[in-house]
Amino acid sequence: MQYKSQAVAKPYFIAAIGLFVGQILFGLILGLQYVLGDFLFPAIPFNVARMVHTNLLIVWLLFGFMGGAYYMIPEESETELFSPKLALALFWIFLVAGALTIVGYLAVPYATLAELTGNNLLETMGREFLEQPLPTKLGIVVVALAFLFNITMTVLKGKKTSISIVLLLGLWGLAVFFLFSFYNPVNVVLDKFFWWWTVHLWVEGVWELILGSFLAFVLIKTTGVDREVIEKWLYVIVTLTLITGIIGTGHHYFWIGTPEYWQWWGSIFSALEPIPFFAMTVFAFNMVNRRRREHPNKAAVLWALGTGVMAFLGAGVWGFLHTLAPVNYYTHGTQITAAHGHMAFYGAYAMVNLMMISYAMPILRGRAANGNKSQVLEMWSFWLMTVAMVFITLFLTAAGILQVWLQRVSDTPLPFMVAQEKIQLFYWMREWAGVAFLIGLILYIASFFAGGDEKEAA
Amino acid sequence: MAGMTTSSSTQAASQAITQAATHRLPGDLAIWFFILAELLAFAVFFAAYAFARASHVEEFNLYQQTLDRNLGALNTLLLITGSWFVVLAVQAAHRDNRPAIARHLLLGWLCGAGFLVVKVFEYAAKFGAGISMSTNTFYMFYISLTFFHFMHVILGMVILTVLWVQARKGVYGSHDAHGLESGAAYWHMVDLLWIILFPLVYVMR
Amino acid sequence: MSGAFTKSMARNIFYGGTVFFFLLFLALSFDTHSQLPKRDMRQNITPQIAEGKKLWEVNNCIGCHTLMGEGAYFAPELGNVVVRYGDEGVKAFIQSRPKDGIPGRRSMPQFNFTDEQLNAIVAFLKHVNSINDANWPPNDQG
Repeated sequence: MQYKSQAVAKPYFIAAIGLFVGQILFGLILGLQYVLGDFLFPAIPFNVARMVHTNLLIVWLLFGFMGGAYYMIPEESETELFSPKLALALFWIFLVAGALTIVGYLAVPYATLAELTGNNLLETMGREFLEQPLPTKLGIVVVALAFLFNITMTVLKGKKTSISIVLLLGLWGLAVFFLFSFYNPVNVVLDKFFWWWTVHLWVEGVWELILGSFLAFVLIKTTGVDREVIEKWLYVIVTLTLITGIIGTGHHYFWIGTPEYWQWWGSIFSALEPIPFFAMTVFAFNMVNRRRREHPNKAAVLWALGTGVMAFLGAGVWGFLHTLAPVNYYTHGTQITAAHGHMAFYGAYAMVNLMMISYAMPILRGRAANGNKSQVLEMWSFWLMTVAMVFITLFLTAAGILQVWLQRVSDTPLPFMVAQEKIQLFYWMREWAGVAFLIGLILYIASFFAGGDEKEAA
Repeated sequence: MAGMTTSSSTQAASQAITQAATHRLPGDLAIWFFILAELLAFAVFFAAYAFARASHVEEFNLYQQTLDRNLGALNTLLLITGSWFVVLAVQAAHRDNRPAIARHLLLGWLCGAGFLVVKVFEYAAKFGAGISMSTNTFYMFYISLTFFHFMHVILGMVILTVLWVQARKGVYGSHDAHGLESGAAYWHMVDLLWIILFPLVYVMR
Repeated sequence: MSGAFTKSMARNIFYGGTVFFFLLFLALSFDTHSQLPKRDMRQNITPQIAEGKKLWEVNNCIGCHTLMGEGAYFAPELGNVVVRYGDEGVKAFIQSRPKDGIPGRRSMPQFNFTDEQLNAIVAFLKHVNSINDANWPPNDQG
């Protein structure tokens, strides 16, 4: 560890992994509810479990992003963090706020939670992924701004590298576009239109800047390739990302009451969205092939390559699969969307965070890389989780294709629930793939406790 | 004999040098990535146009008649002339004729401005008649493609402005025409796109 | 091909390209806003529909259902549910959900809505159904 203040990243990473476990457990509950409809009913209805699943995902990714930034920025800026104390305080505030929110979801009916938390003052709740009560939403803004202040001040007083600039743009974008979550007009079309300004411009816009920046950082560290080379490719890739992704928002404006030209604009630009992901994969493999050193942390390199490939498959290929308007007319709002969502989030954002943690955690624990045993375990967990996710995606895709056929395409369309019962088999298989994913995650955590004391700090 | 060998080898060497020079990619590789991405976006858009036209041939032919081909032709002329001026600016840079660089960039810029003025008149007539992207599929493509291109002309002019300011500062010359060539390449792309767009949308039936 | 590839050029293109495409997106969004009144039926929004939307939100209906295809995929699409069940059918369905669920099957929770609330929900769902959403979903099954 080059700078003492980088140590604040550690609690962020630990919290991220903890919340990740919670996310997966609730994912398994949801998967089971798909096949055993009354599982945990009425104690934890599906909508509550899903809210916990998706909100935990968002929160652990944010913890990962913040931890990654706190680790990376001092090293990039070649100076100590502006205020490690602020970073630590924010950690506890965010963790407690997040935990209270989850407890709120589980403890009281959602309508009661809305009543208790002042939803009547400003109605923002009850929209997918933005279910957080008003105080939590405000808390996210406060934490995000204080975090950005801390990071920005650090960059301003130190060296301003391209990697930090791209990261800062991504993080500022994240905060700015979150503000649209406070806008909830009565007009449901407008509501949906701007809802995507948070959701799409996050995951297919500014978050990709964070992803690119993290990836570039770890590639510089592990391959020893010239910073100049990596940074200019980073710029090319994030340019491609934004020129396709911003107008690509249009692929959400096909069937929600927005004008029909979005079917053309959205299809054309989102059809190009796989290109930046492909470029990212080629970039990662190229840099690793041109490496000038053998970094002892093989696991981190594996995550770096994996995130490129899986983001390309999940976001690029599975996104393209149903992004053209004539296809989307039939697949919109089916298990196809769920399949794409799972692999894209895992490939792009879960894996990039795991990459950062994999690279930084050993150093935070005082060694250049984990011991052989630990790394082997971590690589096993990589393959188990990744292959499990591939199967989850494949099973959901199969379920989705059948659902589309039975419910929307065939001459005698079946009601939703009848079609659901006919595709149970795939939901069962998805659930078992989910169990495999959990085993992978357990191995991942075990790798932190396995023989880590070889290879002293290099 | 020996002399001949020497002279032919010098010749070969100089040929190799000219060849290397002609094979040099003008401008920055980064701008070429951007140009390729832009061309790809337009290519997909053009393909979508062709695809949509195939199933609405009569509609497309009917409403194509309402477009002003004379203004379109004038704009083609303006952009080609603009490109020509920018070529002259780059050549002036290679000859180290500094004042000519800025002068030609300005003339190129004016051609772009002329294009925008003509286009605004064209749009005013169409929008005045209540036509929008939601009128029908043909107008959707007409407005989308031309407006997308319109914005590229504006971006091209912003780039020419930057080049002009730099040229006035004396940045470009035979020693360094890197930025100038990059910007020029982009400007030529804007021109090229119009040369495809104009016949496709205004003329071809 | 021996052209140079510089970081400063790549950076400038990143900034320029991003601003350009964001402005283009704003222009399209601006046009969308001028077109929406013709499609979103905003002139019909009553306080009752607003109340219905609020009930839709504070009960987190989107956590199981889709509305115009957006939401969760656990329960049926509701953008056109009034076509499938009729106003009274929708109300009767919501009212008749057993408190403790249905053994072995998915079931909607019992929300204990008043008649007034049920009317508001149906008014909201009818409003959504009236929005011009490019003829989606493909059939009445949603």
